[in-house]
Amino acid sequence: MAWLVWSPLVANLVLGLLGPWITRTLPPGLAVRLVPITMVVVAMGTGTVLTTLGFLSFAQVPEVARLGSWSASRLGAEQPWPVTAEAMAGTCAALLLAAGFHTMARVVRELVRVAGTARRLVPGPDGVVILPGAVPDAYTLPALPGTPARVVVTTAMLSALDGEESRVLFAHEAAHVSGRHHLYVQVARLASATNPLLRPTARAVRFAVERAADEAAARRLGNRRLVARALARAALAKAAALRADVLGQGSTGTASVSLSATGGQVAQRAAALLAPAPRPRRAIAVGLLALTTITLLGSSVAVDQLDDRLDQAELPAPVLPSSPYGSPHTIASVLSGG
Amino acid sequence: MTKPSRRSGRRPPGVLEQEILDCLTEAGRPLTPGEVQTRLGGELAYTTVMTTLARLHKRGLAEREPAGRAYAYRVASDAEAAQSIAVATQMSRLLGKGGDRAGVLAHFVADLDPEDERLLTELLRGLEDGRQGRGSTRRTTGE
Repeated sequence: MAWLVWSPLVANLVLGLLGPWITRTLPPGLAVRLVPITMVVVAMGTGTVLTTLGFLSFAQVPEVARLGSWSASRLGAEQPWPVTAEAMAGTCAALLLAAGFHTMARVVRELVRVAGTARRLVPGPDGVVILPGAVPDAYTLPALPGTPARVVVTTAMLSALDGEESRVLFAHEAAHVSGRHHLYVQVARLASATNPLLRPTARAVRFAVERAADEAAARRLGNRRLVARALARAALAKAAALRADVLGQGSTGTASVSLSATGGQVAQRAAALLAPAPRPRRAIAVGLLALTTITLLGSSVAVDQLDDRLDQAELPAPVLPSSPYGSPHTIASVLSGG
Repeated sequence: MTKPSRRSGRRPPGVLEQEILDCLTEAGRPLTPGEVQTRLGGELAYTTVMTTLARLHKRGLAEREPAGRAYAYRVASDAEAAQSIAVATQMSRLLGKGGDRAGVLAHFVADLDPEDERLLTELLRGLEDGRQGRGSTRRTTGE
């Protein structure tokens, strides 16, 4: 079963290559829940394998070997690959972990900033915040400690949509809230931060979240074409207002005019709504679960193997006189540099 | 009403403005800067309170009337509208700063590129024709 050690890395490659396709092909509601979890397991599995390899190289540093009382040379002799490869793996693991923490800090900072603003929003009786604004816009703010989730709509958006279409809008945003979509998006983002191969998959998850909310709205209103219509209407109204804003006619002066990374997706979402409803795709879902399982197995084997290697390379207990607290001689010799 | 920022003497300007507005709302009658200062716990400098009140007045969030040698301030009748505009401004600034890229805010519709705009215009026209009984859009967007 030693080959299982490599399964997290293989799973990582598979998910890196097929992740976007899998996320697009699964029914969006299922993809939103399943893919981010798989991403986290695979990212952590890869991190574990790289860390154990890195630790093996670290353990061959004479001082470390003396501290752990195992034989550095025996440890090195057992490895079929050079110690530099292990050291590189360890460096990779450390860098990826640092990238993960960096992103997490950024997510937290952004959430705190949003929560600060969200606290000042005054919701109507139905919990929806209606803001005055010349640019049609609508978004959902995640639920955070101290602030419940908020759906924010500008007056311009409400006047761009007819009655049926604005029901689509609210059903869509409500699906984001009840499906905890923000959480899944952040999980996918964190996984991709610790593992650059998963970045395209994280982007696909963002798209799947919007698709899932569209499908939920279509189910609730029983009309896929209506949802497509509302999307097209809202997007076109927003584009027109932003253009007017750039030309200086509508002088809100505050709208963001940068094309976001998600550009090009509204047309795809509308097209998907006009196509038949997504099929269940059980085989793909089972495949993803298998990928997760084998990654978990591989990670535990990697940790076991590290443990075994260290055990095998362990030196017999020192015959030097020792205190009940360990071996002061060993530690002293390390401190004195040999 | 214990805001975390009340612990330290120094607050971000927006927070202080909000606290003073809250204070004026709670009072339900016009307050002089001195009264506001007392109600906020007296830890703020008088001039700070006075400057902030003047700023609120200038931005249309507070109205004032002469009271002795000073002015007495109360929340403007349309302060709620003015305030939500302020929040809207702040929100869209957050959106522009990349909070959106991070997926913190999920938009109903993202911004469009010109190609999308053309596609969606066509699609919308098709859907509206479809409502009148033609319904030919399904074929063109099947895959």
